[in-house]
Amino acid sequence: MSEKPSTGNFRPEDAPAYESILQCMRCGFCLAVCPTYALTNRERSSPRGRAALARAVAEGKLEFTSAVRDEAFLCLDCKACSTACPSGVRVGTIMELCRSQSQSFHPPSLPAGMLRDFILKRMLPSPAMMETSMIPVRLYQRLGLQWAVRNLRINRFLPDVLAKMEGILPTLAPPLRTEIPETIPAQGERRGRVGFFLGCAMSLVFAEVSRQTARILSQQGFDVVTPKEVKCCGAPHLAEGDRDSARRLALINIDLFRSLDVDYIVTDCAGCGCSLKEYEEILEHRADHDTVRLFCSKVRDISEFLAEVGIRTEGLRPVPLSVTYHEPCHLVHGQGLSKPPRQVIRSIPGVELREMKESSWCCGMAGSFALKELETSRRILERKLANVRDTDADVLVTANPGCHLQLAWGVRELAMKQPVWHIVELLGKSLPQ
Amino acid sequence: MISKNVIDHLRRKIGAQNVYHEREDLLVLGYDATPEIEGLPEVAVFPENREGLEAALEVSRQEGLAVTPRGAATGLSGGSTPAAGGMILGLTRMNRILEIDEENLTATAETGVITTQLFNAVAAHGLFYPPDPGSQNVSTLGGNVAENAGGLRGLKYGVTRNYVMALSGLLYDGTEFVAGNKCVKDVAGYSLRDLLVGSEGTLGIITEITVRLINPPQDKRTLLAYFRDIRTAGEAVSKIIAGRIIPATLEIMDKTTINCVEDFAKIGLPREMEALLLIEVDGHPAVVAEEVAGVRKVLEQVKAAEIRQAANAEEALQLAAARRTSLSAVARVSPTTILEDATVPRSRLAETFAEIERLKKKYGIQVATYGHAGDGNLHPTAVTDERDPLELEKVHSFFSELYEKVLSLGGTVSGEHGIGIAKKGYLLRQFGQGGMEVMRRIKKGFDPDGRRNPGKIFLEEGGSTGVKVPGGTHV
Repeated sequence: MSEKPSTGNFRPEDAPAYESILQCMRCGFCLAVCPTYALTNRERSSPRGRAALARAVAEGKLEFTSAVRDEAFLCLDCKACSTACPSGVRVGTIMELCRSQSQSFHPPSLPAGMLRDFILKRMLPSPAMMETSMIPVRLYQRLGLQWAVRNLRINRFLPDVLAKMEGILPTLAPPLRTEIPETIPAQGERRGRVGFFLGCAMSLVFAEVSRQTARILSQQGFDVVTPKEVKCCGAPHLAEGDRDSARRLALINIDLFRSLDVDYIVTDCAGCGCSLKEYEEILEHRADHDTVRLFCSKVRDISEFLAEVGIRTEGLRPVPLSVTYHEPCHLVHGQGLSKPPRQVIRSIPGVELREMKESSWCCGMAGSFALKELETSRRILERKLANVRDTDADVLVTANPGCHLQLAWGVRELAMKQPVWHIVELLGKSLPQ
Repeated sequence: MISKNVIDHLRRKIGAQNVYHEREDLLVLGYDATPEIEGLPEVAVFPENREGLEAALEVSRQEGLAVTPRGAATGLSGGSTPAAGGMILGLTRMNRILEIDEENLTATAETGVITTQLFNAVAAHGLFYPPDPGSQNVSTLGGNVAENAGGLRGLKYGVTRNYVMALSGLLYDGTEFVAGNKCVKDVAGYSLRDLLVGSEGTLGIITEITVRLINPPQDKRTLLAYFRDIRTAGEAVSKIIAGRIIPATLEIMDKTTINCVEDFAKIGLPREMEALLLIEVDGHPAVVAEEVAGVRKVLEQVKAAEIRQAANAEEALQLAAARRTSLSAVARVSPTTILEDATVPRSRLAETFAEIERLKKKYGIQVATYGHAGDGNLHPTAVTDERDPLELEKVHSFFSELYEKVLSLGGTVSGEHGIGIAKKGYLLRQFGQGGMEVMRRIKKGFDPDGRRNPGKIFLEEGGSTGVKVPGGTHV
């Protein structure tokens, strides 16, 4: 019992801890909440089955086969199983580590690998490069080509994956990172100083949403500092199994925010928030613990932050709408935040919150999953949208750019009436001009 | 090894997507929630209908394959583990609710329907299906019937058996059977239905189940009582029952359990208390009020440290849900949890708690105790590590001695989890050679060559190969 546990057929670097796998006592409570098990009814595509596969690899009973890799990537990493697991097993995290393992056991083919490396190691870490890469898309939209493609149904002739890529992108505004002031002063009685962690997707795709976030923070009495040197949070790297790049980005972001002297670090992207809070875990034994812990302790999702400091409601204008709320996995399961977003919604005068069934069930976006597993993703989305439709609410509210894209695409495809808003867009409508 | 021809045949008959033979699938179809027990099947099939099931059974006979039926594999005695390899017969894809008969107050469903799905479907018609095993959100109705599953409401409402009106399915030789019907009274022939309930898949495959439904209770109150001594809690239970009050739920949790559940559920349970009772009284509002007063009186008499009433239905639900997570939550503190479901007459509860305390000290092991105190069904759970053979030996000695006591008090070795592989040795002690011989004859009548769910219930029956017993001490 005392000898250092071997990692079996895992390579030692970034192997899932054997104890963390053994923690699963196979009660099967996770089967009820796993979207991929719900679709396949296949044990190996369930959290319990995935943990058992990892255990077989760790115990040397199974090589890290391509089926293990496939299950690691079919896992949505929605972490619903972590919320459901009374024993505290985190299969999503174990699968993230398996994704990282798979890079050495099953390296991608050369061109695919080069593309992956280019995106993860060059493009995502460089906001400027990402912004440049989006220029053709903006041009395409600006010139009316998108309108033409959609209205003439030219996208029928595109391969499915390109059609979805085309369909899922909203009209892009210029990136917020380049436009937002470094510091926006607090309005009214000053309550503190927050660093705004502006995520890549938010800045590039949802600039108007994050503009609202900054506006709300300032209106609520906080100086808002948005550093322009901010790097990608590392979530895509963790999801794709590139833990080294994720660590490098984490160290840069920690340093950056340490220099800003802020009380809180707030983000309006559930994925970023989840990833930022995990810095302590991914940097364990690799960076000064106190520094990392201090950083993590300051990180808040926007709803979490507002619920914690208390929303100043004076002057809020009524928003006479019924809304239903889709819980992003990275908020409810990744960060355990289920009540705060509802508190924020309920604090807005005039808003009626209509709970949908299975509000914490994944929407099927799950990072790049929506493009890699088109059909599976679509079926998961349909389940979600049926629950949305049942509420007959005016607006579908969520709090994460991935979900936002997927849901907006889905309601458009199915010609549903609900627009999709980020929670801060809803709150923004209530703010005095 | 099963040949490619046979696999191809199964794929044609049952559908390629319903047949698994890759190692990665087989490796995850050999366990249930019982620690230390795991097999490895050669093939797994998940038929979607009766024809598929017939085809699978036919192949098993032709190939001489052992067959092990499997629902959601949440069992706690190893009943669905393929002890002799062979074929896993997954029944989760026969999962339609066929009928809700409001005139006869019954529901008929296929074997793979999930327990809560049935509960919700009948609730939508204003009806109530009471059996609620801890794993109800994933367990299958067929599994519940095969194991005669209990649950939190067992005290007042009984267990699965009390609701099964009819079963139909296939014997392993392909013979169709229908046992029971929708009649409230029925004494025709041997009660084959009652024999099949709790037979752990050793006699035949159940494909359709008709259950009795009742009216839901009009009102419900949930009380929580905390104790500084677990024996006092046991005394309170005996006194409530002796006072002729039958709550729907009367659950106990000891200090270790309270703390593990609180770690997970975070609902404000008192970490410093030695025990708590979760008491739910339901029925007509006037009766409920009277019984709540009666329960309170007992709790005050025995000097419970604190008595609380759940503020609303939501809080009550939360408490029951938290209790259901006990076993898995206890698994937080150690890699392996070995639990039993020793059951005693309710008047002997306090003695049983005292014995558990004594044996814990004697063997120096950590044991969390919780369970359905109201029906005398306890779940002492050893918190251990399956990689430590010395400690495992102590754990098994602990249970062995505890069962001596339980049997001497007129108890039973399994209240609701079944015998499976885990408790074969204890069963012999309870029934003796004579009782076992009767059961063996019955088994032979259904399955002469013993290849159907082999290795279960009977001690020396063949087919223990493939069962992993890391500690080497397995009863």
